[in-house]
Amino acid sequence: MKIAELKNVCKTYPAFKLNNVSFSLESGKITGFIGRNGAGKTTVIKSMLNLVHTDSGEICYFGKPLSGNETEIKQRIGYSTGTVSWYPRKTIRQIIDTAKRFYKNWDEDACRKYMQLFALDENKKPMELSEGMKVKCNLLIALSHGAEVLILDEPTSGLDPFSRDELMELFTTLKENGVTILFSTHITSDLERCADNIVYISHGEIKAECAKTDFIKNFGKEDETLEEIFLRLERKMRS
Amino acid sequence: MNAMLRKEMCLSASVLSYIFLAAAVMTLIPGYPVLCGAFFITLGIFHSFQSAREANDIVYSALLPVAKSDVVKGKFMFSVMIELAGFLLMTVFTLIRMTVLSGSEVYHKNALMNANPFFLGMTLVIFGLFNMVFIGGFFKTAYKFSPFVTYIIVAFLTIGVAEAFHHIPGCADVNAFGFDHIGLQAALLCGGAVMFTILTFLSYKKSCRTFEKIDL
Repeated sequence: MKIAELKNVCKTYPAFKLNNVSFSLESGKITGFIGRNGAGKTTVIKSMLNLVHTDSGEICYFGKPLSGNETEIKQRIGYSTGTVSWYPRKTIRQIIDTAKRFYKNWDEDACRKYMQLFALDENKKPMELSEGMKVKCNLLIALSHGAEVLILDEPTSGLDPFSRDELMELFTTLKENGVTILFSTHITSDLERCADNIVYISHGEIKAECAKTDFIKNFGKEDETLEEIFLRLERKMRS
Repeated sequence: MNAMLRKEMCLSASVLSYIFLAAAVMTLIPGYPVLCGAFFITLGIFHSFQSAREANDIVYSALLPVAKSDVVKGKFMFSVMIELAGFLLMTVFTLIRMTVLSGSEVYHKNALMNANPFFLGMTLVIFGLFNMVFIGGFFKTAYKFSPFVTYIIVAFLTIGVAEAFHHIPGCADVNAFGFDHIGLQAALLCGGAVMFTILTFLSYKKSCRTFEKIDL
């Protein structure tokens, strides 16, 4: 079942263009969103969160357009990024206490459970956390309000292999619990383990949207990893 | 309490916004341009906008399940709350000057503005200008602080005119001591309150429109 869908999304900047971006997220699956730096991943994600206004096209969640249903939809989605941290000088408890007032389905028991699971100290400030813990802190808020869709923009960027591995395990567990995940990254090896589907973007255009196994079968040569396929495709496009 | 106002107070605000409320005490300084106290209170609010930008507050707020106009409303609610708290403190100090200290020699030798209802009306005008020029300008981009420079110029021109206004022939009554010319004074205070309301409301509406259009 399609839980989120982008249809012909276009956005033009002076030096960059998103051209008819269309893809969908299947319920309970991890969709890897790959593309090199500057390919348009973050712009697409920002459009999905209504932080960027699209010139044309439609973005739907749960069968409803984002435009006109933003407040209701944002109750059911969560966002995390590895590149930005919120309120670095406030404690995690202060951030949680404020955030929970915005969500109808906030579950304090779930919040405590994930706090324990992620080994987060609520008295710590984001500035005192490692990059991996910052991502977990964002995930904690998203999961405590029962987000059904997680939009993750480069959550593993800047993490060491062990922290990345921990997050991959977590994403797999969340998927098993029915959470739908869009996982944007240029570190394609992260997707080898956990992704079900792949959406590949290059120069603002979607070049492929399919199951990971099909992506490897259709675009890969003998025994090529996702990373090798990605590199070869990018080199081919450049030449 | 409104969730957005609580977020502004607990997460976005700089402690300087609260500390700078102490500038209201300037109302008691003899021979001092007392309207500067209003400017310092707005400077405190400006610090909250600065610390909020460092904390990626605008994007965080826009990601919450609220309308974009609620993000704007939160900033206005916080600013107006601080301004009204400052106004209340200045009113207390003005009343002290108008009653207990009305016979004090140092206040009678004042070449600048007296602390009276006209002064209180002008503090509201300064607050209204902050809301219009700075906050309204800020929401055109949600990250540039250049409108604060414009606000400084506008605020000090207004302060200069208001502080010297009573020296214009025929305008001496605006600088009344104690409860002299209380009818005129009350009218000037009401005029300031109307200006504050209009400037703040127009700026809020404009900010909602511009913030809705920008990409974050």
